Amino acid sequence: MSEFGPIDDYRDLFENAPCGYLTIGPDGRITKVNATLAAWTGFEADKFIGRRLHQFLNMAGRIYCETHIAPLLRMQGFFSEFALDFETAAGERLPVIANAAERRHADGTLLFTTLVVIKATDRRRYERQLVDSRSELQRGLATERETAELREQFIAVLGHDLRNPLAAISAGARILQRSGALQQQKELRVLDMINSTVSRMSDLIDNILDFARGRLGGGITLHRDARPLEPVLEQVVDELRTASPQRLIETSFEIAEPVNCDRTRIGQLASNLIGNALTHGAQDQAVRVGARTDGAEFKLWVANAGEPVPEAAMQRLFEPFFRGEVRRSRQGLGLGLHIASQIAQAHGGRIEVTSTPDETRFVFTMPLTPAASG
Amino acid sequence: MDVLARNNVRVSGRRDRAMVFAHGFGCDQNMWRFVAPEFEDDFKIVLFDHVGAGGSDLSAYDAAKYSTLHGYADDLVEIGRALGLKDAVFVGHSVSAMIGVLASLKAPDLFGRMVLIGPSARYIDDGDYVGGFTAKQIAELLDFLEDNHMGWSAAMAPSIMGNPDRPELGEELTNSFCRTDPEIAKAFARVTFTSDNRADLAGVTIPTLILQCSEDIIASEEVGKFVRSRIPGSDIVFLKATGHCPNLSAPAEVVSAIRAYV
Repeated sequence: MSEFGPIDDYRDLFENAPCGYLTIGPDGRITKVNATLAAWTGFEADKFIGRRLHQFLNMAGRIYCETHIAPLLRMQGFFSEFALDFETAAGERLPVIANAAERRHADGTLLFTTLVVIKATDRRRYERQLVDSRSELQRGLATERETAELREQFIAVLGHDLRNPLAAISAGARILQRSGALQQQKELRVLDMINSTVSRMSDLIDNILDFARGRLGGGITLHRDARPLEPVLEQVVDELRTASPQRLIETSFEIAEPVNCDRTRIGQLASNLIGNALTHGAQDQAVRVGARTDGAEFKLWVANAGEPVPEAAMQRLFEPFFRGEVRRSRQGLGLGLHIASQIAQAHGGRIEVTSTPDETRFVFTMPLTPAASG
Repeated sequence: MDVLARNNVRVSGRRDRAMVFAHGFGCDQNMWRFVAPEFEDDFKIVLFDHVGAGGSDLSAYDAAKYSTLHGYADDLVEIGRALGLKDAVFVGHSVSAMIGVLASLKAPDLFGRMVLIGPSARYIDDGDYVGGFTAKQIAELLDFLEDNHMGWSAAMAPSIMGNPDRPELGEELTNSFCRTDPEIAKAFARVTFTSDNRADLAGVTIPTLILQCSEDIIASEEVGKFVRSRIPGSDIVFLKATGHCPNLSAPAEVVSAIRAYV
């Protein structure tokens, strides 16, 4: 090393390093600057000597120097990775990243402060773009959230307001039925149709309200007990048979242990799963419904024949407002499976789906007691 | 609300009469580390962080309340009331000089003397009034502050807060004296540099001393003299110290100027 002249090498390293060097005396005046920084700023090196750092910065940098850099240097002795803007002799902005450190004598007196600057035009521009795009995204997100909340409030109000006219139609149909005014077969069929439509619509409204409650923070609330579940499931199946008299629903229930659950909600879950099977399954084949207790778990399954669920749809089955490909007349809101999965979750359970050319099967599993769910 | 926790209030010292130190824009109560201890024998020392700075409770930050200096002045009065202060000496640096002025108007019995270090009643030029900055330069400052996050990340905030006294600087404490949520830093910069308290100065009834630095680009001599001319009966002392933070760069000179006044 020595034959190459280490003193010259260090001097060259200082002067022509690919970064700017600057030293500041204890009185705050610049004592040394290297050739690189002089070249970057367009000022002769001797223009720096005796002047203050802030005289070479833009106004924002000057304020930052006084309010952050100088205090931090005094309090912790160094300050690293800060952004700064020099103002060049041509009046242009020179964005840099800088590190600064104090050198102190053993007795604590300040000897000088070193500043290293790295040109960072592209880096700083890139960071600014990141900050800008983040602010823009935050604004967009805030608007989006507001809209979503409004939409959900609207759904809640709509669901409520639809209930009253529906109750009036239902009461009207009941009066006609009791009065015996309708005698002809055709008139009675119309009455049946009204009743089944009212019941279907009532289910839809329940789903809408549950969805809105869930979204607006209320969540699905449970009223658990361990009374027999089977009669509730039988009733749900009966109602669906009445609503779709041309379809076959086969059941096998073996509920040996008490199931601690909200029976109305589990009935709703069963109704939504069976309703889904009736809508999407092969029209000429039976929908099979089973329920049993198995160890510490309760299982309920619904299976139907027909075209398997496409892979892409599998991923989204439980999303709200997701609707598969069906005849328009049979289309619902796409909330049935979503609500069912919410009810399952509220019980500490889950719904799993398998779909093959032979059958599509939804299996709901939950622990028999809340404690078992952890 | 626990006012003393909210503002990270630290009380020390051996006497009844209080000396309250208020830090300015940029850092926190550590700004007083070379000045406050010098008065411990003669005063009760009260240090605090403005909400949003240092070890204050960031959850108490209310953008509407702190959109004017009155929000900060109300906090200062609340701290004084919580500690039962009367006739205290107020020492305010930079923007806190005006926060102290506003607090003294709200609660005239709180302070018996005020020392304002590097005060400015308005930073932006206005007609004949020279504040030192144009509105455009201040707008640039607000953008520029976002370029210096100083290692801030919300996840590490809890570990930073509440340990401002640890002398050895771990990774997480680096820059912590001057670091806060960038949104709050920007808002505090905005309220600081866009405030106009020129009309409030005439109402000050408390004996007031202005400490004016030389070569202070944030609060120039002209600005300091303006404050002196508008606060009835106030005094001004010109320090040899240069820059905006004599409490750090020339603590001995600041201490002797305060001592001579109180």
